[in-house]
This record gives sequence, structure tokens and C-alpha cells, in this order.
Amino acid sequence: MTPELIIAIIVTVVGASTPILIAALGELVVEKAGVLNLGVEGMMLVGAITAFVIVFVTGNHYLAILLAAAAGVATSLIFGFLTLSLSANQTATGLALTIFGTGFSALAGQGYSAKPVTLLGPLFPSGAADSVWRVLFGYSALVYFALIMVVAIWWFLKKTRAGLILRAVGENDLSAHSIGYSVVGVRYLAVMFGGAMAGIAGACFPLLLTPQWAERMTAGRGWIAVALVVFASWKPFRLLAGAYLFGLVMTMELYAKAGGGPLSAIPSELWAALPYLGTIVVLVLISIRRDASTNAPACLGKPFLPSN
Amino acid sequence: MQFRLEKRREPSQFMIYATPVAAVVLTMVVGAIIFSLIGYDGIGAVREIFLTPLTNSFKWQDLGVKAAPLIIIGVGLSIAYRANVWNIGAEGQYVMGGLAATGVALATYTMTGWWILPLMMLAGLAGGAAYAAIPAFLKTRLGVNEILTSLMLTYASVQLIYYLVRAPWKDPMGMGFPQTRRFAADALLPNIVPGTILHLGVPIAIIVALVAWFIMSRSVFGYQMKVVGAAPHAARYGGFSENKTIWLALLVSGGLAGFAGALEVSGPFQRMVPGFPTNYGFTAIIVAFLGRLNPLGVIFAGIVMAITFVGGEVAQTTIGLSSSATGVFQAMMLFFLLAFDILVRYRIKRVVPTAEARA
Repeated sequence: MTPELIIAIIVTVVGASTPILIAALGELVVEKAGVLNLGVEGMMLVGAITAFVIVFVTGNHYLAILLAAAAGVATSLIFGFLTLSLSANQTATGLALTIFGTGFSALAGQGYSAKPVTLLGPLFPSGAADSVWRVLFGYSALVYFALIMVVAIWWFLKKTRAGLILRAVGENDLSAHSIGYSVVGVRYLAVMFGGAMAGIAGACFPLLLTPQWAERMTAGRGWIAVALVVFASWKPFRLLAGAYLFGLVMTMELYAKAGGGPLSAIPSELWAALPYLGTIVVLVLISIRRDASTNAPACLGKPFLPSN
Repeated sequence: MQFRLEKRREPSQFMIYATPVAAVVLTMVVGAIIFSLIGYDGIGAVREIFLTPLTNSFKWQDLGVKAAPLIIIGVGLSIAYRANVWNIGAEGQYVMGGLAATGVALATYTMTGWWILPLMMLAGLAGGAAYAAIPAFLKTRLGVNEILTSLMLTYASVQLIYYLVRAPWKDPMGMGFPQTRRFAADALLPNIVPGTILHLGVPIAIIVALVAWFIMSRSVFGYQMKVVGAAPHAARYGGFSENKTIWLALLVSGGLAGFAGALEVSGPFQRMVPGFPTNYGFTAIIVAFLGRLNPLGVIFAGIVMAITFVGGEVAQTTIGLSSSATGVFQAMMLFFLLAFDILVRYRIKRVVPTAEARA
């Protein structure tokens, strides 16, 4: 392997990992508040089509990211209203949100397929020729945003009072309620944050990975993000490691398909299935370790019913 | 004027039946408004999607053919969801059932015999059940969430189709198309009405739902599913094993999804093609809920969902509405249903301010 190839692989891995990382970070905060939103894939698709259309029409990538986040929040509010205000079943509502996002994005994207946009360029474009410089500084703003959010969310959950309240709401909603915190209010904020992150994660697909619109272009990455939260046992830095591991697997698929070397001896379909099979393997490994299941927020997925 | 929610002593039977109907009606109203807002003929779209398939008798056979797999898969899912087992990988189990049936059809290609078709159906049943056994094993042995595993397996199963139809099962006479050869006559599902596309799977779907209803309402199995789902602690005291329930729920729902896959591949498709995954497995999730997790309700919900599929195709040709609009209508129906669920458990009371409160 030449140094150039290694650098190219690292850059691709970081790019492929970023949307999963951003979506998973959002879902981590949602789950820490005791809510299980399985609609990540749907919110990502809404974010992806929003970002694509905005960048196609205006050419402004940052406006596209911002509005993708807003679209993600709007979509998450459907989930929030049903599960938090009407205490509907979270699992069923999350599934419905994914079905909705898939259909809505396909409908809104009708007529946009095969129309190209430009990718979001590196944040520091000048020194891109130098290889080492490129590994550290050659990425778009979305990549740095994801990395900053890892630290920010860790700090928020561990070190701030608001983070403590959020965790309290997820661990023991009745106690949090009885000492005067608004359980539903905190959960709404968390769900909206998860929606914004999922929207931005969706924006990564047309802005960072493939500069066009294709139906279902997130291809299950939202579900992998949900699985990663379990894998990371609700810890931001483990989430970072997990997302980069998945980025590596997906990049190997690309290089195997491009041909050459021992990797191409394996059918390309097996490579394509590997992220999903890998997710299952990872979930199995994590369940064998003891602390994973005990670390789940105690109220995860349960509706909050203070009056009963 | 203020309202508050008051918990009912028992779930309202009226609301259990009324809310799915209300969800469908409200979907039509809100759908018309939304589609008008984004620049379509909204009322026209709703008419084409929800009414044309019913008023045009040519479309009735399409309804039967589309409803059959939705009902069969929906029945299985409703049993699993009753037991609080969240199998959402029915699409993958449907694919594996179709692949298992295809395997039998290709292996017996040069043979004839009445036994080929039943063998394919059994293979489909076994294929779907075996694929659902993976999440069942992981859930009962290691506590791995069945939602994620069953869904991840769906994505993997689609890749398996691609691999098989591009390499080992590729039709040698197919002029390079990635698909298997058309099945031999004895591997094809017979038509029940000559001159139509109605196949044997349509009455089978109704029979499956009726049998499932009988079993769920009259047998220990059905009771066990419901008790474990509704009150796991009581079920444990009552001697029902949770693990056994998880296994049964996944094997039954996976087996039925696989059976639907076998019917589809031997009926409408007549061969395995890359486009075999048609989202029936995901739509059946909505069917199960809209049918109130009751096999008889699933029959009606399957027909409603088939109407939106057939109507979506009509709207595509007549008013140029993307077929994906169907998915938006279907999801909206589920949203409304889930929102209305609160009326099953609560009643809305007007709050009349009392004298003390006013003072």
C-alpha cells in the first residue's frame, strides 16, 4: 500500500462515518432522555432531500445544512407530539416516522434524480496538496461538526446541570417530575435535538458523499446509527469509535468493488451486506459483555404517565 | 374552554373499531389538503387513490392480488406484536421465503408432479421461519434487540437476491438480464378465475386470517401470546415462558412472511427478479396496526392498503403523481391511528370551572 492510498482510505472512512456519527449522537441524547425514536432513517431522508433541493436551487451548502436540520426538527415533532403529548407507542410511532420519511422524500425528490449538485468542499482548502495536512484538515465542515459534537455532548451530559436533568428524566421520570422538572418538556427538547442531528446527518449524503438525489439514499444508515447507540452503551466517545469502524467496513466495500487485490475475490454483494451483518455481530458481542444492557436509561421507551 | 383527559376504566370497544375508520377518513381529508398545497389536484389525487380502485371493476382483481400478501404477512405480524415481539424484518423473511421456493422450483425444473408447488410453499414457510429464527435465537439467548437484528437481516437478504440472480441462479437464456429462468408449469400458482390475474393465493390469504383468528381467540397459544404481551409479570406467574413466546411469535410471523414470498414468486412473479422486494413486509406493519392486531381486522386493513397501492398506480398514470405518494398516505394513516389511540384509553372531558376556582 502506498502512502497516497492509505491517505485516500482514511479520508473516505472519515467521510463515510460522519452521517452515522451525527445521527447516532442525536439519538444518544434522545435515548438518554428516556425516549426511543426509531424514526432516525426517516428523518435522515427528509434532511437529505431538503439539503439536496436547497443546494440545487441556491447553491448554498450551509443554508442547505441549516434547513435540513430544521426539516429534521419538524419531522421529529410529529413523533414528539404523538409519543409525548398523546403517549402513543414509541416503537410503532418511530416505525411510522421512517415509513413517512421514506415516502415523503421520494415524493419531494420526484424529478430531481440524475440532477447533479456540487459537494461541500474542504473547510481549509489551501493546503490540500500536502498528504499529512489533508488527513487532518482536508475535510468539510460537517466532519469537524461531528467531532465537535462528540465532545460537546459528552461535556453536556457529564458536566452540566441541564445534562444532569436530562439524564434524570431518562433514568427516573417520576422522581424528576416530583422535584419539579418538566419531563415532557425535556423530552420534547431532546427529540427536537435528535431531529436536527438526523436532518444534518441526512444532508451529509447529497453534500458530502454522492452529489445527487436517489430515493432511499441513506440505505439503512439511520438504523445502523440506532444500533450504534446500543453498541456504544450510550457513551459519546465509544460512539465515535463505532462509527469509524463502520466507515472502515463500508470503505472496504468500495475498494473491493473497484477491483484489484484479495478483497475483490469476495462477491460485491457480500461486501454490501457486511455493514448490516457487522451490526448484528457487534450487537451480539456487546450483549455478551455485561455492562451494556445495564447502562441503558431505565425509562427508555416507556411512556410517561404521572397521573396514574 | 378547557379540556382534560380522563382515564376510562376499560378500553372503549367503540373507539377500538371507530378509530381505524376515522384514521382512514382523516387521511383522505388531510391528504387532499396537503397535496393541494404542494400543487397537485388534491381532491383528484384522493379520489384516484382511494375510490377509483373500488369503482372500477377492472381493478378488483388487482386489489385481491395486492391484498393477499399484505394480509398473510399482516396476520403474522399482528400475532407477534400482540406478544410484544417487534419483528420488523418481515420484508427479509418474505424475501427468504421467495428464495427458498425459487430454489425448489429451479431444482425441480425438469420434473413434473403435483407435489412441486406444495413443496415450494413448505420451503417458503421454512425459509421465512428460519430467517426469523436468527433474531429469536439472539433475543432469547443474548437479549439482543429483535427490532435491529430483523431489520438488518432484511438489508442482507436483498443482497442475497442480487448475488443469486447475477451468478448461480442466472437464467442461461436470459440475454444477460439478472433474473432466474421462468418457472416450469408445475411450479406456477394456478389461477382461480380464468381470464383474470386472481391466483390461488387470494383465497388462501382469507383462510390464513380466519384460521389465525380462531387460534388467537380460542386456543391456549393465542391466550399465551396476548397475556405475555399485555402483562409479562402475570404471564410469568401463570407459567407462560417468555422465551417460548418470543420463539413462537417470530417463527409464526416469519413463516407466514416466507409463505407470502413463496406465493408471490410462484404467482405474480413466476421467477426470481431483483425487484422481488416490494415493501410488502414493511407495509404489512401498517396493516397489522390498522387491523388492530386482530386477524379479522387485518383482512380489512389489507384491502384498504391494497386500495392505496392500486390507486397509487392509477394516480401515477392519470395525474402524474409519484407512486411514492402512496407511502405518505399509508404513513399518515398510521400516524392518525396512533394519535387516536388515546381515545381508546381516555375520554375527553370539558373542564367546567368550579365556583371556588373562579373566586
